[in-house]
Amino acid sequence: MKKISRREFLRDSGSLAGSSWLALQMPVMLAAGQVACSAKESRAAFRNLTPLEGREFSAIAAQIMPATDTPGATEVGVIYFIDEALGGFMAGAKGFLAQGLDELLSANNGSFAELPADRQISALRAIENGSFFQLLRLLTVAGMFCMPQRGGNRDHLGWQLIGFDHRHAWQPPFGYYDAREGNEND
Amino acid sequence: MTDRARYEESDTVDFVIVGSGAAGGVLARELSVAGFRIVVLEQGPYRRNADFTHDEVGVFFENQLMGGAADPQTFRHAETEQAQVQLNPPAALYARTVGGSSTHFSGNFWRLRPLDFKERTLLGDIKGTGFADWPVSYEEMEPYYTRVDWEIGVSGAPGPFDPPRSRPYPVPPLPRKSSGVLFDKGARKIGLTTQPAPKAILSAPHNGRAACIHCGFCLAFGCEVGAKSSTLVTMIPQAEATGRCEIRADSTVARLETNASGKISQVVYFDKAGKEHAQKTHAVILAANGVETPRLLFLSATPAQPDGLANSSGLVGKYLMFNHHSVAHAWFEEPLNEYKSVQCTRIAMDFYETDPQRGFYGGGVLDARPFLNSYPIAFGLSGIDPQLPQWGKEYKQLLEQNFTRNMTIIGNTTSLPQLSNNVTLDPDKKDGYGRPLVRMTYRDHAHDHAMASFLQEKALAIFDAAGATHAWGEPVRDQRLGAHLLGTCRMGDDPAASVVDRYHRSHDVRNLFICDGSSFVTSGRGQPTMTIQALAFRAAEHIARFANNNEI
Repeated sequence: MKKISRREFLRDSGSLAGSSWLALQMPVMLAAGQVACSAKESRAAFRNLTPLEGREFSAIAAQIMPATDTPGATEVGVIYFIDEALGGFMAGAKGFLAQGLDELLSANNGSFAELPADRQISALRAIENGSFFQLLRLLTVAGMFCMPQRGGNRDHLGWQLIGFDHRHAWQPPFGYYDAREGNEND
Repeated sequence: MTDRARYEESDTVDFVIVGSGAAGGVLARELSVAGFRIVVLEQGPYRRNADFTHDEVGVFFENQLMGGAADPQTFRHAETEQAQVQLNPPAALYARTVGGSSTHFSGNFWRLRPLDFKERTLLGDIKGTGFADWPVSYEEMEPYYTRVDWEIGVSGAPGPFDPPRSRPYPVPPLPRKSSGVLFDKGARKIGLTTQPAPKAILSAPHNGRAACIHCGFCLAFGCEVGAKSSTLVTMIPQAEATGRCEIRADSTVARLETNASGKISQVVYFDKAGKEHAQKTHAVILAANGVETPRLLFLSATPAQPDGLANSSGLVGKYLMFNHHSVAHAWFEEPLNEYKSVQCTRIAMDFYETDPQRGFYGGGVLDARPFLNSYPIAFGLSGIDPQLPQWGKEYKQLLEQNFTRNMTIIGNTTSLPQLSNNVTLDPDKKDGYGRPLVRMTYRDHAHDHAMASFLQEKALAIFDAAGATHAWGEPVRDQRLGAHLLGTCRMGDDPAASVVDRYHRSHDVRNLFICDGSSFVTSGRGQPTMTIQALAFRAAEHIARFANNNEI
């Protein structure tokens, strides 16, 4: 697997910062290959993550999208989406993520997951503008809200918390304002 | 039922059409119905409605419709820079699939106006640009716009600023959404006049196709029920039903080959496995889009035409125009649920014309829509004001509160034609077939930015007047990508100042026609597809006439 140097990664991500389309950009070489589309029913071993990566990335994802009175990344199964993605569209970033995790762990005496919550948050604040964190944020958000067959968004929990109801057909009225004012378009 | 056409490569067909999108689909249908034998070469696969999904990971991250990473492009803002590969999103956004980008667009279908075709005459020269009149007028185009309305299928109702039309819309506008209600309220308060958005999405059954079921996945996604009026579900089935048109998918063109007399004799292409083929033909129509069309002309250079086929003017690939689009977002107190139904239902055209009082060239149209924030992942990534938390507890609460309560206003605006904005071949990098990559060089004109900023201020004023609880604008800056690929083989009467004539025939190569976004002379106001298709209906009529009169 070709490893993207940090310099290349930062250069590409920096030059692409911009509008909404650009916020979706994934400035790493995307390896060919499809993510397996089967839902991960059994929460067994990871396919692409090491146990260490699984534990540490889960802990980071849980700070990006914490459980509150609604489910967070852990409850929604974000880590299983990340595991799938690293064998698919994000395969090219595997080395980069491993390197970023090494650096995070070195800066925190060997474990992020073991830190108390407030220290986890300050450790992430220190790197929040870097590509490693931004990539994990992207994966966490995607794992929260993807179609469940991609491995995350367990039981549509992610969609439920933002109020997205995935149906293939709707009829007007659609929202509060058009229900109040009418859908006539003239 | 007629058998589908299948031509041998050695069988000289009447036309090879490169591209099956907005223009290619229309040309294929028109010319096959007129009796000609056609092969359409489409680099993407033949996806059907049932192949389209709501899968954001597939569409945004795997770039399934845009072709993945197999044929990347390079981008730079100026000649002085080294162009870099820009993978995702690519610099030129277009779908590689039968039906082309008409499968993944959101279907805003407003016509150009009489002024668009003669703005150079109306306003005078704009120094340092290629600002020019079109060789056609609105009056000449009107019947073809009407054919697009009826034969492609456009939903709408006339607005106060509309140009004259010879026939009403075939089906009424789509139902007004909450974004449209709030847009109307705010726009009227600040003195603007709103109207229904014309859409290439059916509000009612038409031409044997069913109406939209409001699933909400139009922009960047393909329509699973065929209500979006792509050429995939409109023109192409009719072309195939003639028994004279073969859609050859997964066929990537390498070059056009010319004979000793300077006419094109065959089109060389690669199949999916990378094997080279050559289709013999009497004539070629390039409808590959404003980036791929000039690329193919450069790839087809000959000793006699070393700067690219049909490029005696030196203007192949030049005057690239993206349109600018300013973006403003807002949140409201109650749910809008913009994830349902089509992108846009209401627009305001008050600022369409250039107003010299503003101090810069340009015009535009405001439209109300969710933009990408109707999609859960896209909203999660970029739906929260960048001034607010982007991770953690507060961020999550903002997502919960605002996914159903957001809307966007886009200011769709002009781009000036500049020689420094162009498509060339990358001198260093090649794709999987060994073809040089497309290299784009693009920097917005100062007037383009001024117009986009002007409309963004109006958008924020509309939000304020409509009672938004929070609103912000995305910075107007130099674009790095475009979905509208215009101007790179412009039409004109003067062979020294244009690539094709008023009938879309190359000034240099008698049996070569070019009709797609590259034909544009000016940019319009941000929604080009309807005009691309009107041009294609018109071009087909003239091309058929030339063929019947043995003038090709």
